[in-house]
Amino acid sequence: MSAFESWLIVLGLGIGTFVIRYSFMGLFANRDMPTWLAHGLQLIVPAIFAAIVATGLFISAGQFDGLALWPRYAAAAVAFAVALKTQGNILATVGVGMLALHAFTALRDWL
Amino acid sequence: MPATEQKDLKKAFWDGVRETLIIVPSYLPFAVVCGVAAVNAGLDFGAALALPGLVYGGSSQAVLAQLLQGAASLWVAILSGLVVNLRMAIYGAAMAQHVRHLSVPKRMLAAAFLVDNAFAFIQQRKEKFPAVGDDALLSYYAGITVVLWPAWIAFCALGAFAGNIIPSSWQLDFAIPLAFIATLSQAIRSWPLAAAAIAGAVASVALFALPLKLGMIAACLLGLLAGLIAERLLPPSQEAA
Repeated sequence: MSAFESWLIVLGLGIGTFVIRYSFMGLFANRDMPTWLAHGLQLIVPAIFAAIVATGLFISAGQFDGLALWPRYAAAAVAFAVALKTQGNILATVGVGMLALHAFTALRDWL
Repeated sequence: MPATEQKDLKKAFWDGVRETLIIVPSYLPFAVVCGVAAVNAGLDFGAALALPGLVYGGSSQAVLAQLLQGAASLWVAILSGLVVNLRMAIYGAAMAQHVRHLSVPKRMLAAAFLVDNAFAFIQQRKEKFPAVGDDALLSYYAGITVVLWPAWIAFCALGAFAGNIIPSSWQLDFAIPLAFIATLSQAIRSWPLAAAAIAGAVASVALFALPLKLGMIAACLLGLLAGLIAERLLPPSQEAA
């Protein structure tokens, strides 16, 4: 990728993201947001988070990985339980999740 | 401004600094991975260093790098990153009532640093101190930001510089889905929201091979659709978020 293309991407995403952040603040600083819009945005949030989790879990190096990566799925299940228990504590979820991943990976290699 | 009010603002600012310092180490693996991914995706090194400061959104940085590596077109990569960041519009909307008294440039400054964690902290602060004033809340937000933004940039830079030294056997890339599992667990507060999450997850994997790598955008729309359908099918009593 050329330097020009790289900066185009970074500036495009940066400026676009700022516009997203400011849009509703600017638009609704002096009036309330229509409920249908607030509602639709609320439903999109978990869909996006879950999509990021699922792609990170099931797809590596640009292709679907299947069952070979079962330590990842098992570690993700452990991490989800920790997240629910700790009300979304990131430090605990990431820490326990990484430990679980390495424990399950060691188990797979040993089996 | 009266002295006591001045003192309140100071306390709010330092509360923000302190509370953010505690959680900031948990972003280290996520940020390092984002830094590595940006360089590996073929971004020019300077642009890869500028990315976290200008975009300031880990999930969109990760999605951008993933798509560039998968040889998606530049426009699909940018558009998918923006779709991932659409949720920040909600944060802006929720903050709107607190910036009404500010000038437009100051409102823009307040919008520029809205991220998941800052927003979550601000919401918690409002629950803890229902009578908190707008200026105290914004001071608290400033305290969060002076720690979180530079730390995020530094951590990502660390990944960009040192990323290829880290052995792949550490499986550090797993920190990204883990960080989002934490956030996701808090975002599912009702059945329709769970339906949206499941549809988004299934769609993103099933449609990963979609032409132009439009899977993320499709997942977002199908998640919305599933959420709306779930609301129709479920009795209102189960809808309560």
